[in-house]
Amino acid sequence: MIALLLVPALLLLVVVFVGPLFRYAWLSFHADSVITGLIAISNGGANWLRLVQDQRYWQDLFQTLRFAGVSVGLELVLALLIALLLDQRWRGRDVVRTLALIPWALPTTVMALGWRWIFNTPYGPVDHLTKIIGLGSLNILGDPSLTWMATVWADVWKTTPFAALILLAGLQTIPGDLYEALRLEGGNALICLRRITLPLLRPYILLALLFRLAQAFGVFDLIQVLTGGGPASSTESIALYAYWNALRFLDFGYSATIIMASFILISLICVIAWIALQLIIPTHSKSRGAVSS
Amino acid sequence: MNRRFLIVLLLIWSLGPLFWQVYTSLCSDQALTQPFASIDHRWTLVHYRNVLTSNPPFWRYLVNSFIVGVSSTFFCLLLALPAAYALNRIPRKLSIISRLALVGAALFPYVLLFLGLLELARTFNLGNQLLALSLPYAALSQPLAILLLNSAFNDLPPELEDAAKLEGLSLFQRFRWILIPLISPATASTAILVFLFSWNEYPIALTWISDSNKLTLPVAMARIAGSSIYSVPYGAYAAATVLGSIPLVLLVLIFQKPIVSGLTSGAVKG
Amino acid sequence: MSTNIFLRRFFAGIFAVFICSALFGLAQARIVESVSILMAAPFADATQDLVNQFNKEYRGKINLRVIRGPLETEAMSDLAISSLLLGKAPFDVLLMDVTWLPKYAAAGWMVPLENNFNTQDVESLAKGAREGNSYNGHLYRWPLTSDMGLLYYRTDLMDRPPETPEDLVSVSQSLQKDQKVEWGYVWQGRQYEGLSCVYLEMIDGFGGDWLQPKSNQIGLNSKPGIEAAAWLQSLIDQGVSPKAVTNYAEPEALQSFKVGDAAFMRNWPYAWAELQKTDSAVKGNVGITTMVAKPGYSTATLGSWGLTVLKGSSHIDASIEAIRFLTSESSQKQLFQKYGYTPTMQNVFDDPQLLKESPILAEFGKAQQVVKPRPETPLYAQISDVLQRQLSGILTNEQSPQLGMNVAAVNTDQILISAGDRS
Repeated sequence: MIALLLVPALLLLVVVFVGPLFRYAWLSFHADSVITGLIAISNGGANWLRLVQDQRYWQDLFQTLRFAGVSVGLELVLALLIALLLDQRWRGRDVVRTLALIPWALPTTVMALGWRWIFNTPYGPVDHLTKIIGLGSLNILGDPSLTWMATVWADVWKTTPFAALILLAGLQTIPGDLYEALRLEGGNALICLRRITLPLLRPYILLALLFRLAQAFGVFDLIQVLTGGGPASSTESIALYAYWNALRFLDFGYSATIIMASFILISLICVIAWIALQLIIPTHSKSRGAVSS
Repeated sequence: MNRRFLIVLLLIWSLGPLFWQVYTSLCSDQALTQPFASIDHRWTLVHYRNVLTSNPPFWRYLVNSFIVGVSSTFFCLLLALPAAYALNRIPRKLSIISRLALVGAALFPYVLLFLGLLELARTFNLGNQLLALSLPYAALSQPLAILLLNSAFNDLPPELEDAAKLEGLSLFQRFRWILIPLISPATASTAILVFLFSWNEYPIALTWISDSNKLTLPVAMARIAGSSIYSVPYGAYAAATVLGSIPLVLLVLIFQKPIVSGLTSGAVKG
Repeated sequence: MSTNIFLRRFFAGIFAVFICSALFGLAQARIVESVSILMAAPFADATQDLVNQFNKEYRGKINLRVIRGPLETEAMSDLAISSLLLGKAPFDVLLMDVTWLPKYAAAGWMVPLENNFNTQDVESLAKGAREGNSYNGHLYRWPLTSDMGLLYYRTDLMDRPPETPEDLVSVSQSLQKDQKVEWGYVWQGRQYEGLSCVYLEMIDGFGGDWLQPKSNQIGLNSKPGIEAAAWLQSLIDQGVSPKAVTNYAEPEALQSFKVGDAAFMRNWPYAWAELQKTDSAVKGNVGITTMVAKPGYSTATLGSWGLTVLKGSSHIDASIEAIRFLTSESSQKQLFQKYGYTPTMQNVFDDPQLLKESPILAEFGKAQQVVKPRPETPLYAQISDVLQRQLSGILTNEQSPQLGMNVAAVNTDQILISAGDRS
């Protein structure tokens, strides 16, 4: 009886999440483009065959993974540093925490426009900076080997506060006497970090990692406004390619295929990242054994 | 000393780009090309005037985003509250499975749904209607909202409801007079997070809205970027980014407590 | 009792007034039809006077409103498509680029116009302006301006323009050697639609064909296709064109030519008016001709904008009135004189008064005779995208012309196959 209360929410979730996924799976085996008059006609596995042979898709996949991997990695490191800083007690901490949260709250497109100006050659401040430190004018948004780093920078700026908050919540659950016990045995700050902080933060790091990895894989807003996928498609992401296929080329069948393939890939990547991190971060039980021995 | 240095660094990193936008927005066009040189007539408000008097005026986008944000938040809570309550009271196995599914949905990069949602909008004629946007928005924020509210319901002592049951209160009455008031802090956190999401959402608004009078702020910003015919339009861009940021900066400053508690309790419980 | 009757009468009176005013309002709305047109920003600005004239002339009957779209062609296309995909578009008429037409036609978004514009109307158009308005036997679009790729040259540096690719290179090199100009030839080499236009003129100029719409024969990796790509690449290698040309669109090429840095430029007719402005270093020293090519193969890429009525519009007849007005002879003269937009009617090209005022019109008229549309297929956006990618790779020396054009041909083939357009 009480389960009925779940029905409206469930219905909405099915319509918005499950519906499209089934639709994609179905569409990916159909030609649905201007050629067919926007009517879906079964074409066997032609879309998937095309995907496999589509260099552009694989290049975009590489670019997306590069973006997601680098930016999430940087974010987690920075977020940990910020969280450690905010975990200590000092005057004005709450104010700083609030101010540091602002980048996360702003719409991506708003600041993407701002970054375009900051990275502008030759008038932006970054260009002035590189000239001062002797790198010369770098043409950041016009050089395929540099532009993707600018997108990483903008993404790290926006999403680090979110990861930092999650890690901070984790830090605050760690009882202080654990550290004291280790210090009594002569452990320095680094050892504390390795033996206590990281192991106990593990679930929080995993959560932040999974959430950010999945979101970064779907990067769209930032790229579309900051670079439009250029120069020379060097920053084009999977989501942007799927978007072009649907709204510029009017090829819904292929767009659905791209999305479906990406969905499968992202699920795999999340599982792999989960397992890898399980292996990398030391577990607490082991380190506690080390402490007591 | 060392710590103070780090704090300053953190603040520069977080707020520097914003201050650069404020600075740019106040510079005249000639001054823009020489940001560090000293120039007469550097300061101007002309960019703000241009943005505010454009057609449609800039505040229209803010109003649109506000309407979408409020309606989505309301719709989302309306569905999420009962669902979060019921989630504890269904068979345990089912509850765990639903929770896992919700976590999965919360992690899902929702931008990939744009094509399916576009077809939905075409089929049911939902395009170019602000209120219709609250349908996908409520759905997309549903997983997080249910999880947050569910953990709040979990924290309530079960005796409370039992006592109310003995008093003869119906389910709806218990809900209305006892449970909802008790979890109002969690509800407030959830509401603000949902509002923020709806205010900032881009890809779906981009595909569902094409009428320039109905654009939400993020889409309007992107379109400003593509439509300028000035050679160095960054003064106007900067004015727009500043105006578009002000409401959210205020929101964060005022509601920082519920936002932080919403995000962190989501992390702790999830 | 009496109050009751009074109230009843009072309300009945109010009701009657309501009904009357509602009917009146309805009637008003019926009489004044409102037509809205979505145009790219520059066109919206240029047609403002014409729209005002129209509204004055049709006061009480039709109210014409122009929606000012974005500046760039691609952004315009994105906006129009996302409106159309959502079902009922918020405008009746769209000003569209020539390359969109097959796609829109295949999607079934446009109202056929052949019943509104008869053969006589069509014959009044200049030869080049007749191209690219129809698809599958239906007329969908009426041209507002005609546009074609042109070769601009400096009359102070040469007596007559080169005609073949080899000529252009040798003239450039000797001018550069004498230090008359820094660069020989500037064009559009950035990875975008302009590059496809440049390439089309060259592949046809070498005697080839990009894609034949009927047979879907791909000519990219044929001998002329590879020669065209190799020639463009060699311009950069030989120093005839600057390296930076790989990031040039129309404005950059124009900027370079306008300050006198280059002897030749490829651009559209609008550049002519720009080059005659007082801040132009080459004012009065510019000539126009068609693109260099093997003898007899000279080609100009068609790039016109035209008006089309969208399905779902409830003001089709009023829209056609508006289109007729905006494309009338006097409107075309006005647009040409004030903004340099090339006319579409043969009569305007032949107008002695106009020719006397601006003799350059004759050159535009000549180029009209050799225009060629880009491949007329609904898949154009994709195949052009594929071509631009490969050409960009060739121009930046990341791959050889032979290899790049082979890949482009294969990719084009894949697109045609998977769209079900070919088996």
